[in-house]
Formats: sequence, structure tokens, C-alpha cells
Amino acid sequence: MIKLKHCKTLLASVCLTLLTAGASAQNKTIAIGYQLPLSGENAQYGMLFRNSATLALDDFNKSGKLPGVTVQIKFEDSKSDAKEGVNIARKFSDDSSILAVIGDFNSTVSMAAGQVYAQTKVAQLSQTASHPDFVKISEYQFRNINTQAYEGPLIANWAHGNGVKKVAVVAIQNDWGQSAANNFINGFKAAGGTVTDVEYFNPGTRDFRSILTKIGRSQPEAIFLGAFYEDGSAFLQQKLQMGLKQNVYATSSLYEKKMIELAGPAANGLYLTSTFLVESTEPHIASYVKAYEARYGAKPQQFAAQAFDATNIMLNAIVAAGGANATRAKVRDALAATKNFPGVTGTTSFDQATREPIKLLTKLQVTDGKFVSVK
Amino acid sequence: MRRIISVSLLLAAVLIVVPGILTLVGGGYWFRVMTTIGVFSILTMSANLITGTTGLMSLGHAGFYGIGAYATALLSTKFGWPFYLTLPVSGAITAAFGILLALPTMRLIGIYFAVATLGLGEIIHVTLLNWVDFTRGPMGISAIPGVTLPGVFTASDTTHYYAVAITALIAAFVLGRLTHSYYGNALRAVREDDQCAASMGLNVVGLKIQSFAFACFFAGVAGGLWAHTTGYISPGDFRFSESILILAMMVVGGLGSLPGAVLGAVILLGLPEFLRPIGDYRMIVVGAVMFFSILFLPRGLLGETPVLTVVRRQFGLAWDAKSNLGWRQ
Repeated sequence: MIKLKHCKTLLASVCLTLLTAGASAQNKTIAIGYQLPLSGENAQYGMLFRNSATLALDDFNKSGKLPGVTVQIKFEDSKSDAKEGVNIARKFSDDSSILAVIGDFNSTVSMAAGQVYAQTKVAQLSQTASHPDFVKISEYQFRNINTQAYEGPLIANWAHGNGVKKVAVVAIQNDWGQSAANNFINGFKAAGGTVTDVEYFNPGTRDFRSILTKIGRSQPEAIFLGAFYEDGSAFLQQKLQMGLKQNVYATSSLYEKKMIELAGPAANGLYLTSTFLVESTEPHIASYVKAYEARYGAKPQQFAAQAFDATNIMLNAIVAAGGANATRAKVRDALAATKNFPGVTGTTSFDQATREPIKLLTKLQVTDGKFVSVK
Repeated sequence: MRRIISVSLLLAAVLIVVPGILTLVGGGYWFRVMTTIGVFSILTMSANLITGTTGLMSLGHAGFYGIGAYATALLSTKFGWPFYLTLPVSGAITAAFGILLALPTMRLIGIYFAVATLGLGEIIHVTLLNWVDFTRGPMGISAIPGVTLPGVFTASDTTHYYAVAITALIAAFVLGRLTHSYYGNALRAVREDDQCAASMGLNVVGLKIQSFAFACFFAGVAGGLWAHTTGYISPGDFRFSESILILAMMVVGGLGSLPGAVLGAVILLGLPEFLRPIGDYRMIVVGAVMFFSILFLPRGLLGETPVLTVVRRQFGLAWDAKSNLGWRQ
């Protein structure tokens, strides 16, 4: 009898061991690398990305789309510094559990890291890098943001359609600002308009009075502004103070609640585009906004939404590449084949030849301190 | 004999032991980190000649590093020059700029000189950023070829490590000979008391310009190495914060010491990478290391002169009524 009891215990323990062994063999962990600024001057954006990516990842792991596989995201802080970005790119490339990489935030770091990923053949998807040469580095670079080659002419035609014939262009002196200004100017001239001034301001400039004085003299009918929200709101305020009445057309980079808070009434009348509308009633967007707000105590903005979509596009590609059996090469191919992905920043496809994303833009105007969508 | 042993030990360490360990650890990652450390070692050693040995507080070293990087990037992408031409030529171009830009500041002393070099660094950065037709401005320059010699070796982590390590050894040798010689003593005399040095018959302005030229040469070479090993540069890599980083490396390692300069680069670039596992807190630890090193080791780890003495002398000159307020005739 005692023997039998022993046998039973033995059997039970063997069963248990087998079960756990089976479970751990089945429960494979694969990883995505995410390089982003979590300290330094762009840390506020990195935090948004990390929040959104964590949200997307937790949803995915709960959804059971890949049974027996746990996906993990390894975050590394690049401080928006090319030196660190390149180090991280090497680190991720060496880590065999990492199938593909998301990031970095700004184009300088994304471009420098991209040189590494091109060499080590790891797919890199940036949620925000808009440098015109970014996806030209190699076939391993992808981005989840419209380039200005698409957005610029769209805004130009919009302004021209509203009856604007003469426009002044103001943009930040960085890679993004330059391509924003150039693409707008080309689009506006093609539509038959004239450009009175083209003014670039160096990053960190907060005094736009000299630019505004110059613009005021040449009397354009509208101003195109290629800037981020901190600079943009200062520009709008100073424009109001200087008494310039022209309408301002801006890129989606100004779609940020803080912009209205900072600019106050000066923001009213501003025309801008966006790929993401936080007030949207579409169910998948509303549920993202609700989940984000419940977890992090604030509504997500465009950059956060882009990171959410980038993470989901990447997870989707890993599923398409075979989940547990996915390899780096398969994930890259699956990523390149992304078509009509229903994200919160619109439906995304990657162009077959150029790998550039195509995303629909919503036209907005600021009215009484609120973003209102217009035709 | 002792000298031969220590030199061969150093060579063996840099060329065999370190790459050997890095290969065993398995990786591209640590090779890359060591390459960056190598580039900044060259930069810090060169800045050390100006600030540590000659005693001129330079806050514009990143600008000269940028000139070298852009010279290399443009020469190799536009004209297809190989690295063995781009590196020395970039060094020479940077040295020429160094002399040109240093000339007007040579009569400035103390904090005024520091502020003038800060201005120089900013001028260079803003020029790189805004001269769009020539430097491509904020777009930066991409697809810069790596260090490669057709038929002999191709660009890889190992090649880049060796290219940087050998250049760093050459820089250490040249700068070491310059500082540990009669000439180096003359520079130290300028650091300790330039009027006294002049009264002893030393050409103070000449010595200052020469030290600027040598330092800028190596800063330019370091910039060239950065361009070749990274493949992409943009003005953002050469901001004022990089000058401060170089200065911090010198201070932690010890002013006036070449091994100290290398150690400073190892600590300030290696530590943040080493501390990656602790995530958000890593920069706090790096800051604490810097803070405590200045608190408890005012000479730095291996310094020959306390940094506070240099700073006090520099700042003291600013309000010392007897010394013509910032100018020296």
C-alpha cells in the first residue's frame, strides 16, 4: 500500500514535471527592440512611445493571436544622441531574441542607427523619422509617418483652394522643416500660387518678431508654418501681438492639445492636418483613447498614437512571419507586405516600390480653442 | 628597458587583449562602444593639450571635431577619397581652421578666452547647420563609406576598432612626446604663469597657437574617424554639449594627463552603456560619479594639476584689477 502511494506521488510529480516542461517549451519568448529617448531633451516623446507600446503589447499578449508565444519589448534609452543610438543598434543586432526594431525618435539618431541595421539586416520601423533619405538607407528601413512629400502638396492645394494666392513660408531649420517647406513650396507653385518669403529659424529660437516683421512687410495672404508645437504656439502668439491678420496653415506636428493651451486665443483660426483625431467616435480609436487615459491619466496625442500603430504593425508582421518560427528576414518581408492595416492613425499601407507609408490625413481648424474637422 | 616593457604591454592590451576579450564576449555591441570610446579618447587627449597642458580653457572643441567630420564626409562621398587620405587631410584642414580661428583670441586670457572659444564652437555649429548648399545643413551626410582597403580588409566592427585604436595610439604617442619634453615644459610654464614664461624668453603666443594647431589636427582626425565608422553625420553631433562632454572627460580623468584623458572617456562613455540594465536611473549614477570625483578627487583620477586651481586662476583673472581685465598686451 505504501509502495502504491509512493508510486502515485512519483507519477504525479513526473506528470507535473512533464507538464511544466511542455508548457515552457511551448511558451516561447520572442522580442522586439525599441530604441527611444527616455532621458535628455526629447524624453517627453520617448515616454509617450513607451506608454503606447506597452499598451499595444499587453493587449496583444492577452489576445492569444500567438498561442504559446510571449512577445516582449526591450526598451533602450538613446537620449536622442547619435552615439548612444548607434551603440543600441549594435546591441539589438547582437541579441538573437530580437526579431525587429522600432525607433528611434528623431531623424539624426534614426539615420545613424539605420546604417547599422542596414548592415546587420534587421528591420527597423520608426514611428516618427521623417528624413527624406531615411527609407533610402536600405530595404530594412520603414516608417509609420507620412513624409512631407505627401503632406506638403496636400496643404498647398488646400490653401490654394481656399483662395490663397500669395503665401509666406516659415519653418524650423532641421531636416524635417526643410522638407516640409520645400514640399509645400513646390506644391503651392505647381497649384499656381506665389511664395513671398521663405524663412528658417534655428532650433531653440523662441523670438519670431524679426521674421514676423519681415513677413508683415511683404503682405502675403497666408503663412505656412512648419514647426513643432512649442515653437508653433510661440509663433502664433507673437503673430497676434504684432497684429498680423493672415491665416496660418500648419502641418500635423502642431496637432497637440498643449499647443492650444500655450497659444491661447492666438491659436484660433489655425488650419492644420492630422492623421489622428482624439475626439474620433470610431470604435477602435475610442477604445484606444479610453484605455490609454485609464492607464496613464492623460489623453494620447498624435505621436503616442503613431507609436501605438507602429507597435501593432510590427506585432502583426511577426504573426504573419510565422510567430514562434519567425526569423528576422521573414519579419522584414512581412513588414514590407503590410497592406491596409487598420490603425488609430488611419489605414496604413507600405508602397511596394519605395516602402513609404500612405496614410490618410484629416483637415482641421482650431475654433474656440478646439480642433474641429473641416472639409 | 622598463619603458620598452610598458609600451609593449600597452600595445598588446590595445591591439590583442581588448579585441580578444570583446570577441569572446561576442560582440558587435562592445566593439562599437569601444570604437566610440576610442574616438573620444583622441578628442580628449587633444583637448587636454590645450586645456590641461597649456592651461587655456577651450569650450569649442566639438566645433573642430565637426570640421574634421564634415571634411572627411565630403571628401569621401563627393570625391571618393579613401580613409588613408581623408583622415590626414581632414586633420590638416581642421588645424588650419584652428590656427585661423585661434589667432584673434590669442590675446584674451582667462574666462574671456573660454567664452570666445564657446563662441567659436557655436559659429562652427551654426555654419554646419545653415550652409545648406555645402554641408546639406540639417539633412546631414549619409552613406559615408567605412574604413576599407579593397583587397586587404573590408569595413566591419573589427576593422573600425583597429582603425580607431591605431590612430589613438599614434595620437597618444605624438601628444605624449609633445608634452613630456622641453616643449611640453614650455607649455606648462605658459599654463602656470604666462607673463613669467614670456619674461624668460618663451614666445607665448606662438606656443599657444602651436598647441591649438596640434590639438585641432587630432580633433579633426577624430571627427574623420567618427564619420567613417558611423556612416552618417549631422550638425547635431557637434553641439556645445559635446564640448562639455569632452571637458568633463578631462576633469574626471585628470587635467594634463594623457592616460587620464583616456580613462575619462572610458568612464563617461562606458559607464552609461554598462549601466543600461538599471534603465532610467543610469544617468543619475553617471552624474553622481562626476560629482563625487570632483568633490573627492579634485585632481581627477590621474591629473597633474587640480582643475579647481586652473578654474580659480581663470576666473580670478576676470576681476583682478591689475591684469587689464581679460586682455594681455
